[in-house]
Amino acid sequence: MLFNTLNFLLFLPVVIGMYYLIPNRSRWILLFVASCYFYMVFYPPYVLILFAVILIDYFCGLKMENAKGFRRKLFLILSVVGNIGILGYFKYSNFLATSWIDFSVFAHFKTSMHVSDILLPIGLSFHTFQSLSYTIEVYRGKQKAERHIGYFANYVLFFPQMVAGPIERYNRLGVQLRENHPYAYENIAAGFKMVLYGLFVKMCIADNMAPIVNAVYEHPEKFSQLSVITALIAFSLQIYADFYGYSTIALGAAKMMGINLMDNFKQPYFATSIRDFWKRWHISLSSWFRDYVFIPMGGSRVNLFRFIINILFLFALSGFWHGANYTFIIWGALHGLAYLLEYGVMKISFIEKMAQNRMVKFIHGVKTFLIVTFIWIFFRAENMTNAKQIIHAIIYSSKEKITPLLIQWWVLIPFLIFIAVEILIRKNRIDNWLGGKKVFLRWSFYFVMLMCIMLFSGIKSYPFIYFRF
Amino acid sequence: MKQTGIKFAALGVLLVVSLFLSNIIYSKWFYKDDLIETDAKMLLELDSLQNVNDIIYFAESSNATTGYYDTCKKSISELIADQLKNKSLGTIQHAAIHAKTYLELIKNIRPDSKVKTIIVTMNLRSFDADWINSKLETPLMRANVMYAQLPAIIKKLMISFSAYDDKVEYLRNKERAHHWKHDPIIVPENFPYKNVKDWDGAIFSKLFDQPKTRDLTCAYIKTYGFSIDTLTNPRIKDFDEIVKVAKEKNLHLVFNLLAENVQYADSLVGKELVSLIKQNRDLLMQRYNKNGVIVVDNLELVNGKEFCDQDWTTEHYVQSGRIRIAGNVFATAAVYLK
Repeated sequence: MLFNTLNFLLFLPVVIGMYYLIPNRSRWILLFVASCYFYMVFYPPYVLILFAVILIDYFCGLKMENAKGFRRKLFLILSVVGNIGILGYFKYSNFLATSWIDFSVFAHFKTSMHVSDILLPIGLSFHTFQSLSYTIEVYRGKQKAERHIGYFANYVLFFPQMVAGPIERYNRLGVQLRENHPYAYENIAAGFKMVLYGLFVKMCIADNMAPIVNAVYEHPEKFSQLSVITALIAFSLQIYADFYGYSTIALGAAKMMGINLMDNFKQPYFATSIRDFWKRWHISLSSWFRDYVFIPMGGSRVNLFRFIINILFLFALSGFWHGANYTFIIWGALHGLAYLLEYGVMKISFIEKMAQNRMVKFIHGVKTFLIVTFIWIFFRAENMTNAKQIIHAIIYSSKEKITPLLIQWWVLIPFLIFIAVEILIRKNRIDNWLGGKKVFLRWSFYFVMLMCIMLFSGIKSYPFIYFRF
Repeated sequence: MKQTGIKFAALGVLLVVSLFLSNIIYSKWFYKDDLIETDAKMLLELDSLQNVNDIIYFAESSNATTGYYDTCKKSISELIADQLKNKSLGTIQHAAIHAKTYLELIKNIRPDSKVKTIIVTMNLRSFDADWINSKLETPLMRANVMYAQLPAIIKKLMISFSAYDDKVEYLRNKERAHHWKHDPIIVPENFPYKNVKDWDGAIFSKLFDQPKTRDLTCAYIKTYGFSIDTLTNPRIKDFDEIVKVAKEKNLHLVFNLLAENVQYADSLVGKELVSLIKQNRDLLMQRYNKNGVIVVDNLELVNGKEFCDQDWTTEHYVQSGRIRIAGNVFATAAVYLK
């Protein structure tokens, strides 16, 4: 089920209503059923994949807790192989098959490998990583194994965040799912603000950027250089608004049940460096990779050469996590490269001192936005050829008849409202910021959001981009 | 708790006020653009046509697709219009639409309109699993929302919140494959294949070395290899609803059952497929004649060579085919057209 559908707008109040009507001891059943239904609206048979993930990690967690030495490690390996195996089969097998077929053509040999017709389960990378974090924590002895399979299942399945995060740790979400959350108007109000704002961001910003981006990425050769650059900036906005909108709705839906999910964004386009950007963008994934990949690899306490390799590997892996395509690996690797370049430059002492200046900070902010925007090309492009076409279209003017890029004038209205709100709430979250305002301002905000959603939401609904990861 | 109730009530009021205001703004400045953007501009065409025409012809691409060598490029509806003496005919046409769209449009014919008769294209292929589960259904269903008789802002919100059949292509393909495997077909008992999947698979293997013939033959099997189930087929429901709405609006109703390339179906696949095509035709004729609808039977009216597309299954006819169909419609439905 998508958040920006009528189904969800009916589903959410029903679940919230029932959640507060039933006693806490039975809520896990409600959440389990609701989450399964939420997922099965997409493609019912795939709920079995989630059950497999749950069963593997539940039993591995239990067995691991009391095991020692190699036996303990064995259950961790079983959990990793189980999760990565499922992820690998559904998400990466076709990529590997295609790569092998391409290589066989290149190397002139025959192969019986074929590409299968698999529908990628939505959000598979999210729930496998979330579930994996639990078994790793149990292995490390930092987390007690969950004995109640229902609570553990809800940790993996919790519908507000199951398909696109935030990737929560068991010690945050698991604990909250067990706690009693009595009805509190404040939670409903805060959740409502977030859901409303999230819908506005997704439907009025992301979905209005999508047609601009799609038109240019489909036929970059037909557009002027200015149009292509406009589409690149539009994609920067689209991907942010799409994911930020989703995360805000997820946080809001959970908040309505008294559950606090972690913030996944902190205004990443205000970042002044690539390092800063990754502290603000998709925070739950960055911290997952930091805790379970980067630090075990030695983190930054290694020699320079190893550090460079670690960073490049980490970013390329993060890219590959997003999608089974070379474009995603390059997207990640370019971020790694930009990170390392900045790291090197900032080692020069006078530049580091200058960076404290407000004007220089602003320039760094613009520079970071431009670098990130350029690198998004590889994230958005269908394949490497498409990415090359886009870069070519930026550098060289089109030889074909130029198609004007159609942007409706009214798109500016929600866009300016969005920018204004983001500047106003800087370093805060919409519910917290708005919660402290006077009644008139709060209700004016609701009114403006409702009017914007009604008037300016895109007429074609686009699935959340991160759902396919 | 009382205060919470008041706040929820206030939110409800705010929602209603927002809907009311946005409906005014949206209808005035955005609605027409969105009709065009969602490929639903036929509603605007219908609005103007129904004030000046006695007859409206609802059609898809079969109406106006012409052959390369045609000297006369007139559409079927224009050819019918040429034969009318005192009546005028307007055409509503869009590629790849089907009865569900016609139905939604017919609902928009006003009681005070000039229209007295409607001719609705009945395409046999639109009853098959391939068309029913086509990826084109998603944009068609979206456009159909725009035809609904609801306040403009509600239609906009229904589209924005995907309140229509918005399935991904993979799921549509799965459903189609399911129908091909499980839908029974009425064939002689000694016929070795009991469903389209087996039939198609066997012919595919048999003609494996002749790709052109193989693909065309298999296309005929997948297109026409079905027996209409009147209880479950969504097109039957649409046409039934059209009959009901036409009655309510006191409109004379004509279904124009299009010609199919029965000759090629026979030569490529054989008599079993032709038998299925004819069974379906007979079923439709009986079902709707019984309901007081004039069903024009063009099924075998056009020869194989008179189809524009010789290498696929379509209802696009060259000049002679279109003329013959127009003549047949005029003759069969003379009571409403003369």
